[in-house]
Amino acid sequence: MYLFANATIYIGLAIAIYSLLIITLGISTKNQKLVDSGKGGMIALFVCAAMAMISLFYLLATSQFQYEYVTDYTSSELPIIYKLTALWAGNAGSLLLWTFFLTLYMIMIAYSRKMKGNPMVPYISAILMVNAVFFFFILGFVAKPFVLMDTVPTEGKGLNPMLQNPGMIIHPVTLYLGYVGLAVPFAFAMAALILKNVDDFWIKMTRRWTIVAWLFLSLGNIFGGQWAYVELGWGGYWAWDPVENASFMPWLTATAFLHSVMIQERKNMLKVWNISLIIISYAMTLFGTFLVRSGVLTSVHAFANSNLGLYFLIFMGVAVILSLYILMSRYNLLKRSAGEFNSFISKESSFLVNNLLLVGAAFAVFWGTIFPLVSEAVRGTKVTVGMPFFNKVEAPILLSMMFVMAVCPLLAWQKSTVKNLRRNFMIPAILAIIGMTLMVVLGIQKAWAVIGYGVIILLLATHFLEFYRGVKARRKMTKETPVVALYRLMIRNRRRYGGYIVHLGIAFITMGIIGSQNYDVETMKTVGLGQSIELRDYRINYDRLDQKKEGINDIVYADVTVFRNGKKLGTFQPEKVFYGNWEQPSSEVAIISSVKEDLYIVLSAWEDNGKATFVVKVNPMMDWLWFGSFMIVIGALFALWNGKYGNVTPRYTGVRKEVS
Amino acid sequence: MRMKLYLGLLLIVIIFQGSFIRAEAKEIDYKSAEFKAVAQQFACTCGCGQDHYECDPNTCNLTTEFKKDLVEMMNKGWEKDKIRQYYVNIYGEEILTSPEKSGFSLTAWVLPFVVLGLAAAAVFIIIRKWVKKNGNDVLLTEYQSTDDEVEQEILSSMIDEERKKYL
Repeated sequence: MYLFANATIYIGLAIAIYSLLIITLGISTKNQKLVDSGKGGMIALFVCAAMAMISLFYLLATSQFQYEYVTDYTSSELPIIYKLTALWAGNAGSLLLWTFFLTLYMIMIAYSRKMKGNPMVPYISAILMVNAVFFFFILGFVAKPFVLMDTVPTEGKGLNPMLQNPGMIIHPVTLYLGYVGLAVPFAFAMAALILKNVDDFWIKMTRRWTIVAWLFLSLGNIFGGQWAYVELGWGGYWAWDPVENASFMPWLTATAFLHSVMIQERKNMLKVWNISLIIISYAMTLFGTFLVRSGVLTSVHAFANSNLGLYFLIFMGVAVILSLYILMSRYNLLKRSAGEFNSFISKESSFLVNNLLLVGAAFAVFWGTIFPLVSEAVRGTKVTVGMPFFNKVEAPILLSMMFVMAVCPLLAWQKSTVKNLRRNFMIPAILAIIGMTLMVVLGIQKAWAVIGYGVIILLLATHFLEFYRGVKARRKMTKETPVVALYRLMIRNRRRYGGYIVHLGIAFITMGIIGSQNYDVETMKTVGLGQSIELRDYRINYDRLDQKKEGINDIVYADVTVFRNGKKLGTFQPEKVFYGNWEQPSSEVAIISSVKEDLYIVLSAWEDNGKATFVVKVNPMMDWLWFGSFMIVIGALFALWNGKYGNVTPRYTGVRKEVS
Repeated sequence: MRMKLYLGLLLIVIIFQGSFIRAEAKEIDYKSAEFKAVAQQFACTCGCGQDHYECDPNTCNLTTEFKKDLVEMMNKGWEKDKIRQYYVNIYGEEILTSPEKSGFSLTAWVLPFVVLGLAAAAVFIIIRKWVKKNGNDVLLTEYQSTDDEVEQEILSSMIDEERKKYL
């Protein structure tokens, strides 16, 4: 097994190098046979990565503690599902997962029906292959997944209990799919530049793949936040930790790209900018990995510190320099665009403002994340840049972004006249102002909340108008019923309406964030048996404290009965789990959700006389956040789905005869 | 008379003593908003990566003491900023969860907005350039737009017909 497992890595490395060389040779000599050989190598590479994954899964599942990785991250009593998911608990395993996804994406592109006969394929393959060589090199020489121990321990160290949660099964997988996914648009961009061909087909394919990566990146962040909320017991979901920032930055720049590429599609402008955004997004994924794996910053996502990060930094540096070189060498070609703007107030301009804000937000995150390093370098003081900083700096930028999002759909292309503006915005603006006034009168008076919700009302109104007008226009011609008209309207313009659904999802998430950040209340109280804690409308009766055993873990739990406005909601059990093989205990919180708010109960401590300390928190509008997340996924899938109508990707025939 | 005064004073002391003592050791909820405002400023150095508001006193000894000290200062009537200054004087800026808004650390706060401002100016200039470039063309087309309305109508009805085929 040892030989086989290691062979998959080293043979994989050899195949990757071979494929890279042979494809490059095939491109330069225009020899289709060589390129085909390289493409065959891709399948072999995928098989290698898959075999390596299966080997590691097998070793983890059967608890073969002679392997360092198995010992470090599992123990024999761990449930089988967490034994398997321990694959991405450490450096080597998570990079193996990354490599596997990369090879998966590679064959999906090289052998896709749409890409058949496309001269871009060899270039894309070669660029992705460079990535594959890098990752197999890392797996082979830096973070080796299959290392034997000198002595075989009888028991493993166990998996960090924090990671034993359903959220952790899926969060890393989706996040890596997003990370790796951004390598694909990057490869497309580079291939297009090398071939001097940034046409409609390129835009369609790149955009599609960017949405795929974007969707996974969103999912990864959402699952991460959800996990933090239920598992960490601090009642929050986003801490602006360097690792979170590392995945938020490419998300922001990819979002910017998805919008500005529309201008390229319509007006053939901003080509240089769009490609720069792709390069930045891709570089950010590598930079994030560098931050996480190098230990230069302290983070809750503690991966073992190693020089691994350095390799990523070097790889990123090389990738960025090379891609900028290619971009510069094609600069004149790209610049020749039919630049045409008719007015300041137009959809085109609003897209530029959107990009400005998104990239600005990304820069602010970047700056805040690296500032501790900057400060240390400049004056020797390592400062902490934490939540208060990011909340203060990002709030105005992202809120302005929401405003642009509210306004943009109703702005006309080319030029919006005053009449047009009045027609489109009169009602939404009035609604927003009425809403804001109502809020102030009803007691919601915090500035951020009032402005934020005002902007969201505007957004909902403009988006509703957009749907309403679409349906009306369609019905005028087709005489369909409103529902049918709406349905047909949407499935015939999937990207557009999918995008709007995502907008609505973002609006819901924002409502959740504003509500939970501004109107949460929390208390920490020590009470005796039979006593109760009151918070807002809730009364929590502390009935019982007991202990139970689950496997090798000891669980202390409290029975609490919760009442809202005197009405009984039920009995709940917040727990504290003490692990047989882990020092730190962890809290299993009791969460009572409703549309209005979540009640979040943590059993914090207890005394021998039965007194217990609880942390009780009311988090308003959390369900809105999760609902919004769900809408984002629906919207993105809707946009991606290849329906029967429209969205036919033109089969590419190429500008000149090339290898494909 | 004197006796009465003493008795009265004694009575007052007896009545208010409770509140005097309570004011001495006023209990502060570790999860209250007032405590949050103070404690959130300081980073816990136990390696948990949290601030002293979030850090769990059951698992971290450091924060237990720190929280007690904070409560003591709050009971003394110290303001949030005074407490902040007190700790910065002892431990330096490292203890804070966000950089100071002075000296070099000010750049942390300001730079994002400076960059955003400069970029906004650049975008403005670019759009103006494009609009101007295009403005000349628009003038020309305006002269030509004497096309008659009938032709326009025929055209739009043709477009409508075509469009219906695709619905």
